[in-house]
Amino acid sequence: MTAFPNFEWVQIAYALLTLFIVINYGMVMTAVVRKIGARVGGRYGIPVWQNYVDLLKNIALRSKISHGVMYYLGPVFRLTGGVGLLMFVPTIYGSEWHQNFSYAGDLILALYFVFFGTLGMALGAGESGHPHSAIGVSRGLAQVTMAELPLALGVFALSLQYQTLDITEIVAAQQGSIFNWTVFTNPLATVAAMVAFVGTMMRSPFDVAMAPQEIPIGPPTEYHSSYLALMQTNRVLFPVAKTVIYMNLFFGGATSWAEFAIKVFCLYMISVVIGVVHPRFRVEQSIRFFLKWGLPIGVLSILVV
Amino acid sequence: MVSPLLILAAGLGAAFILGLLRGTSERPAFYVTIAALAAMSFVALSWVVGLVLGQTQPVEILTAGARPPFAINLFMGGAEAALISVVTLTGLLSAFYMRADLMRLGRRAMAVLLVLIMALSGLILTRDLFNLFVFIELIVIATAGLVLLSKDTRALAAGFKYLIVSQVISILLLVGVIFTYHAHGSLNIDDIAATPMAFTGASLATFLVLIALVLELKPFPANGWALDIYESAHPGFSALFSAASGTAALFAADKLFTAAGPAWLPLATGVGIVTFVGANLLALSQSHDRRLLGYSSVGQIGLVLLVVGQKALLGADFAYVAGGIVISHAVAKAGLFWLSGMVKGRTLSDWAALCQNPALVVAFATFIAMLTGLPPFPAFYAKWVLVHEFAATGQLPMLAIFLIAALIEAGVLFRWFGKAIKHDAQRSLTYHLSRETIVLIAMLAGWGLGWVWGALSDQGNVMTALPLLFALLFLPMDILPARVKNAIAMAGLVVWFVISYQDLDPLRLVFMIIMMLGGAVLFLASFHHQGRRMGFYAPAMIMYAGMALLLEAFTAFQFFAAWEMLTIGSYFLILRGKESEPHALSYILFSLGGAFALLAGFALAAQGQRIFWIEDLSELTGTLAPWVFVLLALGFLTKTAAMGLHIWLPGAHAEAETDVSPMVSGILLKAGLFGLFVLVMEMGHQRLYGVDLTHLLVWLGALSAFIGAVLAAFQEDAKRLLAYSSISQMGYAVFGLALMNHLGWLLAMMFAINHFVYKSMLFLAVGGVKERTHTRLMYQMGGLITLMPLSFVSVLVGIIAMSGVPPLSGFGGRWIFYNAIMSTDLRLPMVLVFMAGPVGFLYLFRLIHTIFLGQPKDNLRQVKEAPFWIILPQMLFVAFLIAFAALPGMILQRVDRYIGTLFGDQPLVWSGRIVNSAYGTWNPVAIWGVIIVVFVTVLGLLIWMNHNAQRVKQFNIVFSAERPFKPQTTHFAWNFFAPYRKAMGFLETPVSTSFWTGVTNALHGTAEFSRKLYTGNGQTYAVHLLLFVIAVYLISMGASS
Amino acid sequence: MMLSQIAMALGFSLILLGLYGALTNRDIIRMIVSFTIASTGVNVVLVSVGYLPGRSAPILDEAVPVAEAATRITDPVPQALVLTAIVIGLGVTALMLAYAYRLFRARGSLDISDFTELKW
Repeated sequence: MTAFPNFEWVQIAYALLTLFIVINYGMVMTAVVRKIGARVGGRYGIPVWQNYVDLLKNIALRSKISHGVMYYLGPVFRLTGGVGLLMFVPTIYGSEWHQNFSYAGDLILALYFVFFGTLGMALGAGESGHPHSAIGVSRGLAQVTMAELPLALGVFALSLQYQTLDITEIVAAQQGSIFNWTVFTNPLATVAAMVAFVGTMMRSPFDVAMAPQEIPIGPPTEYHSSYLALMQTNRVLFPVAKTVIYMNLFFGGATSWAEFAIKVFCLYMISVVIGVVHPRFRVEQSIRFFLKWGLPIGVLSILVV
Repeated sequence: MVSPLLILAAGLGAAFILGLLRGTSERPAFYVTIAALAAMSFVALSWVVGLVLGQTQPVEILTAGARPPFAINLFMGGAEAALISVVTLTGLLSAFYMRADLMRLGRRAMAVLLVLIMALSGLILTRDLFNLFVFIELIVIATAGLVLLSKDTRALAAGFKYLIVSQVISILLLVGVIFTYHAHGSLNIDDIAATPMAFTGASLATFLVLIALVLELKPFPANGWALDIYESAHPGFSALFSAASGTAALFAADKLFTAAGPAWLPLATGVGIVTFVGANLLALSQSHDRRLLGYSSVGQIGLVLLVVGQKALLGADFAYVAGGIVISHAVAKAGLFWLSGMVKGRTLSDWAALCQNPALVVAFATFIAMLTGLPPFPAFYAKWVLVHEFAATGQLPMLAIFLIAALIEAGVLFRWFGKAIKHDAQRSLTYHLSRETIVLIAMLAGWGLGWVWGALSDQGNVMTALPLLFALLFLPMDILPARVKNAIAMAGLVVWFVISYQDLDPLRLVFMIIMMLGGAVLFLASFHHQGRRMGFYAPAMIMYAGMALLLEAFTAFQFFAAWEMLTIGSYFLILRGKESEPHALSYILFSLGGAFALLAGFALAAQGQRIFWIEDLSELTGTLAPWVFVLLALGFLTKTAAMGLHIWLPGAHAEAETDVSPMVSGILLKAGLFGLFVLVMEMGHQRLYGVDLTHLLVWLGALSAFIGAVLAAFQEDAKRLLAYSSISQMGYAVFGLALMNHLGWLLAMMFAINHFVYKSMLFLAVGGVKERTHTRLMYQMGGLITLMPLSFVSVLVGIIAMSGVPPLSGFGGRWIFYNAIMSTDLRLPMVLVFMAGPVGFLYLFRLIHTIFLGQPKDNLRQVKEAPFWIILPQMLFVAFLIAFAALPGMILQRVDRYIGTLFGDQPLVWSGRIVNSAYGTWNPVAIWGVIIVVFVTVLGLLIWMNHNAQRVKQFNIVFSAERPFKPQTTHFAWNFFAPYRKAMGFLETPVSTSFWTGVTNALHGTAEFSRKLYTGNGQTYAVHLLLFVIAVYLISMGASS
Repeated sequence: MMLSQIAMALGFSLILLGLYGALTNRDIIRMIVSFTIASTGVNVVLVSVGYLPGRSAPILDEAVPVAEAATRITDPVPQALVLTAIVIGLGVTALMLAYAYRLFRARGSLDISDFTELKW
C-alpha cells in the first residue's frame, strides 16, 4: 500500500474547495462576531466584509521589511499550521469531497499539529528582535502549558470511551441522535475540553499573550504587509479549523456545510460570550485557573470513563 | 626449594653484618640491606612459584631438633608464601624509596628495617604462640625505631604513644598466652586448634590472646595511636606499616581465630564491621592526606577482619576473598604512601601536583580503584564473592552496612581524586626517578594481580575482555596526537559493532547501534581537538568497553563488571570538565550507590549460586523476587536519573566538555534504560505489599518527565537546560517501559533512539556555540542565527523533533505513546505526562530563542559558525532525523516484531509506509507530503507578494516609544518564563537536593564530631584501648550467653 | 597450692597497679616505671602458672635424673617464657626511656598531655 491510498488529483481540488469555504466562512464569521459585539456595546460596528478589506490592504502595502530568514518564514509556518490542521481533519462527515487528507493520521496528529504554526510564528517573531514579541511568546507558551491540559485529558477520556483515535470513527459513533453526542454521553470530558477551548481561542480572559487593546504586544508585533496578511488569513482559518476538531469530537460533527456553519458559529460564540463579560487574566492567574478548574474536571473525566 | 628459615636468617644475619661495618660506610651498608631484602623476597617468591606450579608442597619446619610442642615450628604454605612475598617486596621497595633517609641515619636504621621485615615474616611463618609474641614485640621495637626516620618532629610523640599502647597490648597478650598454655598444655597453635574450648568464662585466655591480636589491627575506635604514626612517619615507612605490618598482623590474627574455633568468629565480624564503618566515616572529615590514608588503612584492615569473621561461611572462598582484599590494600596503600612522599604539601588539594606527570595520575587512579574495589582489581572479585556470601547466608543487615560503608569510602577517595585532578598545584612535585619507578612498579603489580584474580575467578576474567584491553591500549598510546587516537577509537567502535552485531536480538541491536555506531559518530566531533588531549581516550574507551560488554552480558557478574566499567570510564570523562569537580563526585557516588544496589540485588537473586544467569531472574519467585526487583530498579534508575536520584545529572552533563556531554547524555543514559529493559523483561510485574512495582515505575517515570521539564524551563544555562530535559526524556522512556505492554516498550525504544539523536545534536550545537561565545548563559547570547546558521538549523530540527510536533520523529513517539496508554489500566499518571508535554515547548523555545533569535550582543558580533567537526555530526543527525521521521519502519519494524514475540501480540500493522494500530493511523509519508506541499505553496505565495522586502538592521524596531540601541536591554531572555515561575515556581523547591545534602551533612557532622575522640593524648588512647577490650568482652559474653 | 595462688594474686595486683599508674600519671618517666611494674606483675603471673608445689627447678643434674624429670620438676616452659619476656621488657623499657629523653630534648617537657599535636 502506498502512503496515499486511493490518491487522485481531484482530491487536491476537493481540499482546496474545503479550504476556500472555510476561509471565507471564517472571514465573514469573525466579522459578524465583531459586529455583534459592537452592537451589544451600542456601536454600529464594522461591515461584514471588513476582513477582506484589511487583507487586501495589507497585501497591497508597498513598504515591506524583513528581519531575517526565520522572520520571513514565521508567517509561512503559521499559515501552514492552520491549513495543515484543516487538511488533517475531516470537515464534513460522510462527504467524500471534504475528507481532506485525514488518512495521514488521527486525532493525535491534529492535536500535535496545532503547535506547528505556533512554534514557527514564535520563532519568526523572535528574530524580529522586538522584546514585546518575545514577551508575548513567553506568556502565550506559559499559558498554553496548562490550557492544553484539560483538552488532553478530555481527549484521553473520549478515546477511551470510543476505543479509537480515529476522528471519523468518533464522529460516526455520535450519529443517529443528538443524545449520542459526546457532550451528552460524556459531559465531563466535554466540559474539560471546553475549558481548554475557551483558554486557547486567544480571547478574553485568556488573551494576555496578544494583548490587543493596549500597546501592541504579542508575537505579531513586528509583522506587517503580506506577512500580516498571511497571519490574518490564519487568524480566521485557524480558530475554525480548531473548532472543527471540537465539533467532531464532542458535538456530533457536521454532515453538511449548513450544520457546519451553525455548529462552528455556536461553539465560537461560547468563547466570545465568555470573553466579553470577563476581564483579562494575568498569565499566572490563568494558569492557576486551569489548575483549579480544568485539571480536576479532566482528571475526573478520565477516572469515570 | 630453599628453606623458608633462610628468610629469617637472611634478615638477622644481614642485620648482624651491618653491625660489623664501620659507622661511616653507609653505602656498603645500604647494599647489604638491599641484598638481604632481595634474597628474602627471592626465597618467598620462589616458594609462591613453586607452590603454584605444584613443584613443591607446603612444608612444616621444625627447630631445635624436636617436634612441637617441645620446640617452635614454622609453616610455609601458599598463603604464607604469598604474604611474605608482599611483606618482603614492600620492604625491598620501601628500602629503595627511603634510601636517602636510611643513608642519613646510617646502618643502625637499616638493621632495624631488616629486623622489622624479618619479624613480620616470622609472624607469618610461626605456629607457636609465644614465638608469635616475641615477633610482635620485635615488630614493636623496630616500628618505634623506624618511626624516627621521619624528619617530622611530631613523629617522636607518635612513636611514644605507640609504645604505650604496645605495652598494654603485650600485657594482655602475655597473660592470655600463659593461660592458654595452662589450659591446653601446649603453645603450638595447631594443638590449640585441635582441642577447641567452649565459649565460656574459662576461655578468657583465648579472648585475651585474640583481642590482643585484634588490637594490633588498630580496630576502631581504639586506634588513635596508629593514625598518628601514619600521619607523621616517613611515607616509606608508613607504606611498610600499612601494607606489610597490616598484612602480617592480619595473618597472625587469622591463624589464631582459626585455632580458637568458629565460636569466636563473630568477634572478628563485629570488630571488623565496626572498624570498617567507623574508619571510613571519620575519614570523611580528613584534610590531611596521610592521616586520611591511615583511616583508610584502618578501614581496609577492618574489612579483612570482617572477612576473617566470615571464614566458616566462606569456606573454600576464604583465601580468595581475604587475599583479594589484603593484596589490593597492600599494593594500593603502599603505592599511595609512596606517592605521598613525592607530594610536597599535606592537604588533599596538594596532590594536584601529580598532574604534572600523567603516569603518576594513572597510578593514583589505579590505587584508588583498587581500594574501592572496582574492576578489574582483586578487591572487585573479592567484594563480589563476599556480598554473595552475605546474601546467601542471610546476613542482610551486614550486607547493607558493608555496602554503605564501602560507598562512604569511595566518597572519601574520589573526593580526594577530584581535588587532585581539578585543583591548581600550589607546589610542584618532588621528583625522583627511583621513587616514580617504585610507584609505577606498584601500579603494574596492581594490574598484574587484577589479572591473576580474574584468572582464578570462576566468573571469568575481566582483564581478558577484548573491549577493555582495547581501551587500556589507549593508556600507552596517549603520547599520540589526538586525531590519530580519535581515528583508532572510531575504528575500534565500528569494528566491534561489525564483529558482534549478528548475535544480538533486535532490541540489543538498537542499543548496540546507539552505543557503538552512535559513539563513533560522536567521535567525529572530537576531531576538533588539536594536540594530544591526554587522558581523554582511555576513559572514553573504558566507558564504551563497559557498554559493549553490558550488551553481551549473560551472567550477573559480567553485567555488573561491565556496569562498573562504564561508570568509572564516564566518571573520568566527566571529571575532565572545567568546573566539574563537585558534579563528578556526586556522579560517581550516585553511580556507585546504584551499582551497589545492583550488586545487592544480584546477590539476593543468586542465593549462593556461583554463576547466576541474567535470564534466571525470570525464575525468581517468593518473597525475595520483589526485593531483587526493587534493588535492581534502584540501580538502573540512578543511571537514568529518575526524580529523587537525579541531582547528579545536571551538573555532570552541563560541566562536561563539548564532545563529552553528548556521550554521557545521549549514550550513557541508555545503559540505565537497557538495564531497566532487561529487568522488566525478565521479572515483569512484581508485587510488594500489594503494590505492583511497575506501577510505581510508571509514576516515577511520569513524575520525572514532568518535573524534569519544568526545571528545564527555569534554567539560564543552556547545557543545564538540556541536562534537565534529559531527565524528562528518560522519564518518558521509563514510563513507557513500565507500562508493560507492547506499545509501551516500543515507546521506550523510540525515545531511546530519538533522545540519542536529538540530545546529542543539541548538546553538540550548544557546545559549539559555547566554544565560540565562551559562555553557557543564554541571556548573554542572542541573535546568533545569522552568524551560526548551521547550528541554528540543528537546534531547530532538534526542538521540533523533541517537542513532538509533526512531521519530525518526535511525533512518532507521541503517537505510540497515545496508543500505548489506550491499552493500560493506569490513568492517573497520564495527567503528569500530559502536563509534561507542553512544558517541553517552554524550555525548547527558550533554548532556540534566547541563543539564536532576538538581539545580537556587541561582543558577539564577530563570532563564527561552530567548528566544522562539531557541525558535521549534527548535520548527520539532522539527516537521520528527517529520514527516520519519514521512514520510521526501517528501525522500528524489526523491534516491533521482536517485542511482539515477547508479548505474543502484534498491535501495530505495518502496511507499506503506513502504521495502523487498533485505535488509529500514522502515515508519516503522507504527513510529510501534506506539510511540504502546503508549506511550499504558502512560501511561494509570500515570496510572490513580498519578494522585495527590505532587509533591515538590528535596531529597526520601536517599542515603548523609543528606538532601542542596547542589545542588553532589548534582548528579552533572562528569567524568560517569569509568569510561569510565578505560578509553578513551587515545583522548583529543591526537595531532593535538600534531602541528599542533609544526608551528607549528617555524615560529615558525625565524622567531625566523632573524630574529637582522638585527643592526641597517648594516655587517653591507652584508656580507649582498655575500654574497648572491656566493651568487646562484655558484648561478646552477652552475645554468647 | 597457696603459694602459687598468692603469687598469682600478687602478680595481677601488680599488673593492675601498674596499669593504674600508667594511666593516671602524666609524667612520662612515671608512666614508664608503672609499665615496668605491670610487666613485673605479668612475669610473676607467668611463673605462678608454671609452678607445681613440691617440685624442684627444671634443671637436669645429679639431683634430678632424666628418668624422673617428668615427676620431679616444675613445668620448664613458663620459666623459659619469663626469661624471654624479661629480656623483651627490658628492651622496650630502654626504648621508651630513650624516647622520653628525646621527647624532653625536643620539648623541654615530660608531660604526656603536651604531646598532642597529632590528633583528630
